[in-house]
Amino acid sequence: MNLVVCLHAPPASADGQTLGRDDTHALGHALALAGAGTSHRVTALLAGTAVETGALHRALAAGVHRAVRLGGDDFGAADFHTVGQVLAVAIRRLDADLILTGGRSDDDGLGAVPAAAARYLGIAYVPSVEEIAMAGDGLVEVVVRGAGRKRRLRVKIPAVLSVVAGPRDSVIPPDRTGNPAEVDLLSLADPEATLVRRRTELLGREEPASRGTEEVTSAAALVAALSRG
Amino acid sequence: MDRAECGWHDRPPSGARRPAPTFEATSLPNLLVPIDLRDGEPTGPSLFALSEARRIAHQAGATIYAIAMNDRELDPRVVSDLGRAGADKVILCEGAGLGAPPMEPTHGAALLAAVERVPPLLVLFPAGGAGPQLAPSLAARIGAAFAARADLVVAETDGPLADGVGRVFLRRWRADRSSYRRFDPVEIERPVVALLASGHRRDQGGRGGQGGSEDIDVEVIACAPPVQSGFQEIASEPDELAEVALARVLVVVDPAVGAQALARLTAEAPPGVVVVDRKAAATAIAASVPEILIGVGHADLPMVGTPRGRVGVILFGDAVLPPGALADVLWRAPGNPADVVWEDLTRALASLAVPAAQGIDGAGRESPA
Repeated sequence: MNLVVCLHAPPASADGQTLGRDDTHALGHALALAGAGTSHRVTALLAGTAVETGALHRALAAGVHRAVRLGGDDFGAADFHTVGQVLAVAIRRLDADLILTGGRSDDDGLGAVPAAAARYLGIAYVPSVEEIAMAGDGLVEVVVRGAGRKRRLRVKIPAVLSVVAGPRDSVIPPDRTGNPAEVDLLSLADPEATLVRRRTELLGREEPASRGTEEVTSAAALVAALSRG
Repeated sequence: MDRAECGWHDRPPSGARRPAPTFEATSLPNLLVPIDLRDGEPTGPSLFALSEARRIAHQAGATIYAIAMNDRELDPRVVSDLGRAGADKVILCEGAGLGAPPMEPTHGAALLAAVERVPPLLVLFPAGGAGPQLAPSLAARIGAAFAARADLVVAETDGPLADGVGRVFLRRWRADRSSYRRFDPVEIERPVVALLASGHRRDQGGRGGQGGSEDIDVEVIACAPPVQSGFQEIASEPDELAEVALARVLVVVDPAVGAQALARLTAEAPPGVVVVDRKAAATAIAASVPEILIGVGHADLPMVGTPRGRVGVILFGDAVLPPGALADVLWRAPGNPADVVWEDLTRALASLAVPAAQGIDGAGRESPA
């Protein structure tokens, strides 16, 4: 089985993290599914520029079999429909059976990219996944939370599973130095990859927001200040 | 009650796109609110979303549709509740399996049937409901903009609208909280799908004053189950953290503060205020959209609020607010917090309780009127 983990480059942070929280869990689940004794292969996929490959190098160090950067565009300024579509093109070319993504897998934490990718692939989309296990031929079992229930579901693959950080800590291995694989480049200069016109306005118009921090000296003042907002 | 047949819409073949709705098709100022039903009753955030829609509907010249998905007819009392909260009309997608918690493979096509029946300007998902499951897919299917965790704003501005009709905007934070994103469905010529915060249902007092009527129509769309969803439920149990996603006021306590303090704050939390452990409830916290979020003993709060929402942080001793931390209000409490701090805090939180007249329990669910 080919598992593809879609990663994204997180915004620059002081601690220099190369993987977002949900992406870390998605990668951890993929590596666990492809653990010892299985023939499953894991490919990490990221749509971004050459300087945004930190997440892919981290994935290689953690043990994925292949890392692929989808190049050819400035995806940072693209709406989720566009990013979902280009990921779908790449996923199809990678012949993926199961696609895992971080639940809030974009800079603005929208989580809409995996839904759009599933839409363009024409396959099932299951969000809010906390646990994943193989369940026999062409099936996976997942645990999801939502609308007041915690449910165990059996899902037929291919499918896009959007992973959220569950109560358990992530299980990806620490950095290793032994994986010599390099990041492959997948170009979208492909006649089959006809994209919809990018709709940057779908991202919304940016407005400044300047809100400072008011310091108070009691619990009552804190609650009063919060209620005033 | 109107009743119509509307079959499920199969997924398009791989790679094919359903034609995106044109602006002409989407320019009707319909506001759609998918209702979250628990044991047949609408949640508090669902009624709040209807009241928010009602707040802007008059100025925007809009009609409000409550979208319910269920496996049977709605109780007339529930229909009245939806009307009082602000709905002009209810669309019930009725079919086998639609009474289960919504998931995209089982409920997505039914919701799409309702959206195609009433082309929307906005689709407003309530907090704690089907939003995370259905909203991104719906936005992808209809080519809409998607505004997770948004507020509604109405402005009287010039534009391609009739005189006296206000422009409706939505605002959401960027992930780093450095700026807002503003969505104008007229400008982008597409509908906007959004998740609203949890909040108090406003007392609206009469239709002229933006209130709703309990005497409203229900239109039924009969939905056949999907032929092959590729999806089977093996087990289901109540989510012990369900109240977190519905909370209007969420207090997130760092485990380092101590189990005793957490237990005390939890036990003494007033109705409408939910207290949780930061680590144990991380997933549920990330899915919440509270109006007020308070971190106790830490400032590591996820970006879960809306621009109208407020964030408070309580740090102890010499702890420093990290650069870029989300905090509208900061209280530096004494180090080694003693009982007096917890007493002050529980007393202060009591003022955030939901008014008794609204009948909302601690889980944010409204009791029957």
